[in-house]
Amino acid sequence: MNSPDSSIAQSHPKEVRLLLILVAITIGLSLLYAVQDFAGGPVRLAVVSEIYDLVLSPDGSLVAAGAQDGTVRLYDVQRDWAVQALTGHSAPVIGVAMNPDGSTLISVGRDGEVRTWDVASGQVQQVIDGEGGPVTGASLAADGSVLATVSQDGTVRLFNVVEGVPLRSIGPNENTKLTVALNSDGTLVAAGDGVNIQIWDTHTGDLVQTLEGYCEDGPAMTLDACDEAEGDWLGHEKEVTALAFSPAGDLLASGSADTTIVFWYPETGEVRWDSGGHWSAVTALAFNSDGSVVLSGGADNKIRSWRLPGGKGTATYEGHLSAVNSVAFGVAQQPDTILSAGDDGTIRLWETANQKVTHLEWSRQGLQSTWGRTLRNWMLISGLLGLVGLWGLWKVQPWGHLFTLALYVLGPVIVLGLSLLETLTYPLSTGVQLQIAWPLLALAVWYAVVVVALMREPVAVFYQAPPGLSLSEKLIASQRAIKTRAGIFTTAVWFLVLVALYSVLRRFNLDVAFMGHFFSFIMQGSGITVVVSAASIVLAVVLALLGALGRLSKNPVANGVSGFYISLIRGTPLLVQIYIWYLGLPRVNIVLQPMTAGILALGVNYGAYMTEIFRAGIQAIGKGQYEAAEALGMSRAQLYRRIVLPQAFRIVIPPIGNQFIAMMKDSSLVSLMTVWELSFRAQKVGRQYFRSLETFIIAAAFYWILTVIFQLLQGKLEEYMARSERR
Amino acid sequence: MPEPIIKVRNLHKYFGPLHVIRGVDLDVMPGEVVVVIGPSGGGKSTFLRCLNFMEAPSAGTVEVDELEINAGESLRGQRKQIRELRQKAGMVFQAFNLFPHMTTLGNIIEGPVTVKGMSKEQAIVKAEELLSWVGLLEKRDEFPSRLSGGQQQRVAIARALSMEPKIMLFDEPTSALDPELISEVTDVMERLADQGMTMVVVTHELHFARDVADRVILMADGVWAEIAPPGELFTNPKEERTRQFLAHIL
Repeated sequence: MNSPDSSIAQSHPKEVRLLLILVAITIGLSLLYAVQDFAGGPVRLAVVSEIYDLVLSPDGSLVAAGAQDGTVRLYDVQRDWAVQALTGHSAPVIGVAMNPDGSTLISVGRDGEVRTWDVASGQVQQVIDGEGGPVTGASLAADGSVLATVSQDGTVRLFNVVEGVPLRSIGPNENTKLTVALNSDGTLVAAGDGVNIQIWDTHTGDLVQTLEGYCEDGPAMTLDACDEAEGDWLGHEKEVTALAFSPAGDLLASGSADTTIVFWYPETGEVRWDSGGHWSAVTALAFNSDGSVVLSGGADNKIRSWRLPGGKGTATYEGHLSAVNSVAFGVAQQPDTILSAGDDGTIRLWETANQKVTHLEWSRQGLQSTWGRTLRNWMLISGLLGLVGLWGLWKVQPWGHLFTLALYVLGPVIVLGLSLLETLTYPLSTGVQLQIAWPLLALAVWYAVVVVALMREPVAVFYQAPPGLSLSEKLIASQRAIKTRAGIFTTAVWFLVLVALYSVLRRFNLDVAFMGHFFSFIMQGSGITVVVSAASIVLAVVLALLGALGRLSKNPVANGVSGFYISLIRGTPLLVQIYIWYLGLPRVNIVLQPMTAGILALGVNYGAYMTEIFRAGIQAIGKGQYEAAEALGMSRAQLYRRIVLPQAFRIVIPPIGNQFIAMMKDSSLVSLMTVWELSFRAQKVGRQYFRSLETFIIAAAFYWILTVIFQLLQGKLEEYMARSERR
Repeated sequence: MPEPIIKVRNLHKYFGPLHVIRGVDLDVMPGEVVVVIGPSGGGKSTFLRCLNFMEAPSAGTVEVDELEINAGESLRGQRKQIRELRQKAGMVFQAFNLFPHMTTLGNIIEGPVTVKGMSKEQAIVKAEELLSWVGLLEKRDEFPSRLSGGQQQRVAIARALSMEPKIMLFDEPTSALDPELISEVTDVMERLADQGMTMVVVTHELHFARDVADRVILMADGVWAEIAPPGELFTNPKEERTRQFLAHIL
């Protein structure tokens, strides 16, 4: 390329120049969007607002929801969920409540501002200015007399909402920053976010009770001491994240980041029952009117119901795409229903009989909030890759055109295909039509225009060799162009198959949130997997080397022993061998650590197979090499060490690599011995939560990636070893 | 009168029932160049390979530089002596037999470092000297697969010389080479002879035999058919077998 850029630009046909401009615009917009989104800028395409709280009117005809965008949404259940948005809060609405006769709605903003609304007209009645924000929780007594809020400075504030005046503030206290609850007559207020919960009298502001965990049947001990004494710890081990009084006020339920729910006697501070079932923090709690059922929502996107007395789990509601923030018992016409709302911006009505969603409301039309992040990331990637593609187009590089094409074909697949798929795989029984966000559709159309333009005849120029090259150079260049083109398309096909596979898996209704949550737990086993594989392969190589030398030896003892070894090991299943190592040897008082037994079993087994590979490799070394080494006066050992084995190694690397890949996968058999490696963890978690498909997909992906990486390394190693054969 | 550096007495070699070498004797003086020619199947290569026990002789004794090995006794028992003898006798093969996984330099330092325990630095200095002597210093980091046949054979000679042998054995060193490459190898061999190396060469290169050899042996049917200085043997052979052979190839 010896001519200056400007003249090349001149040589582009008009269509290509237009195309370059189109691509450049796309890149510019993509980068602009991505950068401002990363910086927290104002333009956010098609996302929902998280819903922080929801309340049902006493007659069950209205649902009010407080949303992240600062609106309070009122849904009229009887009139087909007609929605009315009450605007006025300048901060996200973190709490909503209704007074007992359902005439007044109370909302609390994150900045501490409390508003009361006339439900019938939707007009603001009173505004109590906020202070002490950010406020994290709010609760209204069932009789409507007192409203309590708790803020991050640890202060509990009490309000008389009828009069619209603050009553009292308690604190600031340590560890009361997250959640607050009032009993039904408004006489007691509980708050917590440490391991403990404190209860105050609302009239005097005096501390009346502290609920602390304790060791059952034991003296006062810390949690660690209790664990050491193997006692039963009653109470929470991590901070409290949700609180609710029973309607009769005789019980206080608390949910915690330790995933358990504890039912306390607020009078005595004793634990009545405790329940567990969520696999992440409990974020919402609600009692039904007679106190016989408790609903809990969790950061694991699930809602669970518990029967009282006893606290036994009765049902699980799955469907939310993000953390559940609020739960309530059902609407007027449908008594056997429950309501929930969460970070995914949906309000859902569920049937208790079969835990299916019968109605769903989005806080705003559009795709899930998570796709907002995907879109942003895609914008960044497509912008950066587009720059490279544009440079290639400009310079008339062979890959520029195809690269851009592939990029812009894949773009809509990622941004729209996946999000559409996610939306469509959502149970359609809800009967709610979900609309695609218009900006996303526009983006797809824009991409389509670029692609069509790229495909047009005058633009779809194949590689033009730069002028001034000789014929042979042109031929070489065109060969390279064909290869590059094939490479790009192969990559694109791989990618599309991967996306297709992903969508097929999504059809199985995969719990992506679950996978995300337990990913790191399962992956903690990957180290053991790698260690077991590596140690086994080292053992196998040593055994195989000895075995091969034995097989080639004329000494009947060495030959016989190695022949027997190969025959015995190859003649019995690996699984049986593993059991013999692990379960058989203890009979003769040889108790191996599970991992040691696994490494021995795998190493001995693969050693037998690899013996034959090594033998073939050694036999492939010509007689002349032996003679040349002997003529230098080398001993037998020197000859093998310096001349034969290094050459044999080079020959056996490809088959040994295959064996290593097979072994990495067979290392999963070690899980039979309760070694906490990858497969074992996947199995463990999968069984515990009935999510085996999800956990094993994680495990499978890891093994796959590991083998792909290893294949790359092996290729490099082969290349290095073959350097002496290059001509 | 100096002692012969190679003494072979009554050497026999059987391959199964085949009697390949039928009791030959040979004395080679230090600095002498002996070329063995003869029809194929006559036992030339086998004889040469018996000299450093690449083939185990069936009977007879071989003495190199006052180290005597008697093939009548157990050769396993004399392993150490055989290895010692091999260090005194450098060998160059028809098929070069360079180590393909080592560079040129690696090939040459392999013997001194591994067998003699020489330090690597010292061996490299020595190897570079040898490489420049065979005219291949610029190829020191190339792998054998990138060298021509003639270059490979010159490296093989350097490799054999690196052990500082007392004698050199050449087993048809030019047979595997293209005709135009032969001279680059024979030139090196000639220079080696000029420097006073004792050499036993099995070859079909009669030019080399004529120009360099002190004595030429015609070997046929496992025995010496005729031993004579080259001028005599080529121009005025005494034996009928020699005449037949020369008529055949000239």
